[in-house]
Amino acid sequence: MVDALEEARRILVDGGVLVDARPDSRVAARVRSGGARGTIIGTIGTQRETKTDDQLSDRAVRDVLRRGLFRSRRRGRIWHAIPFEDRSELQDYLGDHLRFSRRVSWRVPAAKRDGRVVVERAVRFEILERR
Amino acid sequence: MQVSATASVGQLVPGGLGYLRPPAEIELAAYGVDLRGLRVADIGAGEGRLALGAARRADRVLAIDPDRSALARGRAEAKRLGMRNITFREGAAQSLELADGSFEVAILSWTL
Repeated sequence: MVDALEEARRILVDGGVLVDARPDSRVAARVRSGGARGTIIGTIGTQRETKTDDQLSDRAVRDVLRRGLFRSRRRGRIWHAIPFEDRSELQDYLGDHLRFSRRVSWRVPAAKRDGRVVVERAVRFEILERR
Repeated sequence: MQVSATASVGQLVPGGLGYLRPPAEIELAAYGVDLRGLRVADIGAGEGRLALGAARRADRVLAIDPDRSALARGRAEAKRLGMRNITFREGAAQSLELADGSFEVAILSWTL
């Protein structure tokens, strides 16, 4: 991972920027009922192995910052909304997902999980300037 | 290099089944980097979803990925869209066969 960051730095001009964007496994995805403004009815975590990989990526970024190869210009998080017709469709999606846990942690009883749902997943990003 | 100090942090962006990443233009706008007139390398580009979006604003874009079939799909899409400022090249993030200092922007999106 550090290798990739060092290579990216090499091909950048002085003052050039590197965009590092990745799913944010530090926060659980939110499951909303209905639409984007619906109530949060559940959350979805990240598989343990994936979390470990993400932590290694974080460490690689911290390493190049500490070594002064880049400086952080800004960082943030966006939420990406993915709609599903119902929880059955969501469960099929989770069944073979490489990052998400296989099951939703529901916050409401089964009777209140019918209908369309939206999953909001966090994507973190950081803009790094080459030094 | 223009980098917005405020753009879109915490923004909710749309997606859809079969399109499980945010639309490229929206994702790039959220990062707040103005790509106009710049040379952009998308490292780990896959089939070029983000690279194709970047090519709408950048001077030229190089999409790099080790997956030949994904690159072929990207080339086909670029051809379909009539985009001439994007190139797809096989390569690995750890050993880019590119000249030093040849891009203003590098993107590692879901790559690290």
